[in-house]
Amino acid sequence: MSKRKLTILVLGALLIGNANLRAAETAETEPRQQPVSDSTAVPFGSEDLSEKDTSEAGGNVSQAELDGVRAEIATLRDQLTQRLDKTIANSKRSLSISGSTQTRYSVSTSPNKNGFLFNSAILSLKGYLKRDYEEGKSISYTLGLGSNTSYNLQPTDAYLQYSIGQSLDIDKPYLNVNIGQQKKNFGLEATTTEDKQPAINLAQFASKLGLSARDIGIRFYGDLFPVVDLGYNYRIPLIEYSLGLYNGSGPNTADTNQDKDIEGRIVINAPAGYYSPYRGLALGGSFYRGKQDLYKGTTLITKGEGEAKKIRYGTDLSYVSAPFGFTAEYVIGKDEKALSGLTLANAVRATTESKGYTVTLFYEWGEQFYKNSRNQSRNDDWWPTTFQPFLRYDHWDPDTAVASNESNITTLGFNVFFAETTKFQLNYSISDDKAVNLKQNTFAAQFQFGF
Amino acid sequence: MDMKKWIKALPIVALLFMTVVAQAEEKPKVIRIGGGGNSLKIPAASGASGWVNDQGLLEKEFAKDGIKIERTYYTAMGPGQNEAIASGLIDFGSAGDLVTVVGRAGGLPYKIISTSGAGGSNIYIQVNPASGIKSLKDLKGKRIGYQKGTYLHLAFNRVLEAVGLTEKDIRGVNLVNADAQAALATNSVDAIVSSSDRPLVDQGVATLLFDTRKYPQFKSGPGSIFVTEAFANKYPEITKRVLKTLLKGYYWASKPENQEAIIQSSVKLGGTYKHIKADLIGALPPKERYDPTVTPKVLKDYQEIIDFAFKRGIIRRHYNVSELFDLRFQAPVLKELGYDKYWVH
Repeated sequence: MSKRKLTILVLGALLIGNANLRAAETAETEPRQQPVSDSTAVPFGSEDLSEKDTSEAGGNVSQAELDGVRAEIATLRDQLTQRLDKTIANSKRSLSISGSTQTRYSVSTSPNKNGFLFNSAILSLKGYLKRDYEEGKSISYTLGLGSNTSYNLQPTDAYLQYSIGQSLDIDKPYLNVNIGQQKKNFGLEATTTEDKQPAINLAQFASKLGLSARDIGIRFYGDLFPVVDLGYNYRIPLIEYSLGLYNGSGPNTADTNQDKDIEGRIVINAPAGYYSPYRGLALGGSFYRGKQDLYKGTTLITKGEGEAKKIRYGTDLSYVSAPFGFTAEYVIGKDEKALSGLTLANAVRATTESKGYTVTLFYEWGEQFYKNSRNQSRNDDWWPTTFQPFLRYDHWDPDTAVASNESNITTLGFNVFFAETTKFQLNYSISDDKAVNLKQNTFAAQFQFGF
Repeated sequence: MDMKKWIKALPIVALLFMTVVAQAEEKPKVIRIGGGGNSLKIPAASGASGWVNDQGLLEKEFAKDGIKIERTYYTAMGPGQNEAIASGLIDFGSAGDLVTVVGRAGGLPYKIISTSGAGGSNIYIQVNPASGIKSLKDLKGKRIGYQKGTYLHLAFNRVLEAVGLTEKDIRGVNLVNADAQAALATNSVDAIVSSSDRPLVDQGVATLLFDTRKYPQFKSGPGSIFVTEAFANKYPEITKRVLKTLLKGYYWASKPENQEAIIQSSVKLGGTYKHIKADLIGALPPKERYDPTVTPKVLKDYQEIIDFAFKRGIIRRHYNVSELFDLRFQAPVLKELGYDKYWVH
């Protein structure tokens, strides 16, 4: 090879090498471009952001950040105060508002009739007038308005309650007094609250003998020898007692005579701990003595206001230990009436003795009646759904001296508790009223809700 | 083997098969776990249990068996779980020392299978400055608010006994925490016994007379993890696996680097950061504080609680501590996890 050719070769090699070198440098500095068809690329919006730390925090808090937090708190406080002043109702003393409504549909035979019925609506206001943290000798009030099937809105409960004795120490007895218009405390049927009544209707004797009606008066009640099981915050007194003095004229009515009706009740509870099979067993006795107007038939005897005796005696037995429950109650009524005569002076009096009893069996699936199950930490508006089938037999004899005039009602029912203050009830009743020779089957569905 | 021999062998084979099948443990459809609730009604736990829940460890452990995990948080804490056990609503739970002792005394069918840490809980005695109480002995004759049946009750009794007093020497008022704070603020009581939360002291309305951070001998005993006897006897392997999963939480909690996370988990459930942190002053190191092992000392502590509760009339039946514990599960679980070499006694 000639020198000239060799030189050209060397220069050419150098030129090519230099170009390659520059190309390599350029390749290192230019960003690598993603090929269009790269299968690992994630479309925007589809990437998993859950694992990414999006927090902005980190490091120590500066004075400026702390001042910022203080300013935010002050702003929130002002906003809250404004909102409370403008949109939130307030009262001078503590106030809790509650109420309940019963809406019913029933179908009955003989005579055939069916219809919807607005059974009752109750609004209740309660609260403390004075709260005592030292011994619990607090004063509270209850004011209720209610409407029943007559659609008249009237005061129901209107009373003050005072804890005469201490009420904070669960190892010691309690003693309270209620003054005002209130429910009487006779037996089980008439005193059980709506949420614990399995059947839609009360036993016949409760309404026929006026036991479920309210009256105006004063009632002392308390208990003795409490048995405490601290493992469950459970307390059951061996003895519960109640003694009341009333006008005897009924609710929202001034006294019609000089006498006062007296009522008393005593209950013996099984002194058993929470886990004992005897928990929930109770035996009670009640009495009521008063005066009412003396009637001959439906005619008021002249000067007969408050001249007729009215006596009730009752005994009851209950065993309520979830999921099973059993209650039985027997009541005798004695009402004086005039057989003849139109004035008090010449009226011939007689006493009508009436008798009634009821037996109820029920079973529960669910946690409705477990106190602590209803009080859980939950995010949602959870409530333990509970089903309660029951069977009740209700007997009423308005006059034991008259044969074949009694009325018997057998009720088969099913209750569903599905929200905190709501239950749905289905009752099928077979009744036989011998006094009017009427046999009737009734199906009733009732929706009871409260707030 | 000819056909006749096979037929002869068939009953024996069938019997063997049935025996094997019968011995294979049944599995529950759901494992129901109870815990304490909080004032904010948030359905969550803090600390070791909270971490186990957040990681879904129990769900992962039992997913392959098709067993569901159900948790219930009772605002009434230990008494709420006792009611749930009595009503057959939960299988496992975790509560303080006294409430478990009281429950068992009443016949509640459960057993402790592990502690929830050896640390115990502090109690704080806050006083009304105008009450004239300057020492523990000055509590005599005063109105003291505290919640009966809780670890506060028991620990407070121990403090009283140490200064020669009993509950009969004071006027005890049964108050839950919120009412106790209100009672102290309104001078309705002279002092209250509380957990670490003390807003009245922060506000200058009350003063802190005494707390057990410097006197650990008066702290509450170790809490408990319990299981119903029926569940443990019917599903021993499942019980062991549940315990094994829960103890992983205690191992995590025992690490110093996780203490801040534990505090934050308590703050999220309504605790005050400052108080929770201060509550740890003088506390055992995390490894000891979260040691779940049932040691002879733990058994001795619980027997002392039973003796004390019986002496004070809190329980009506005295019993031996062996009735309260079921130690079948913890030792093998600790060994499987290697924690027997971590928590050495």
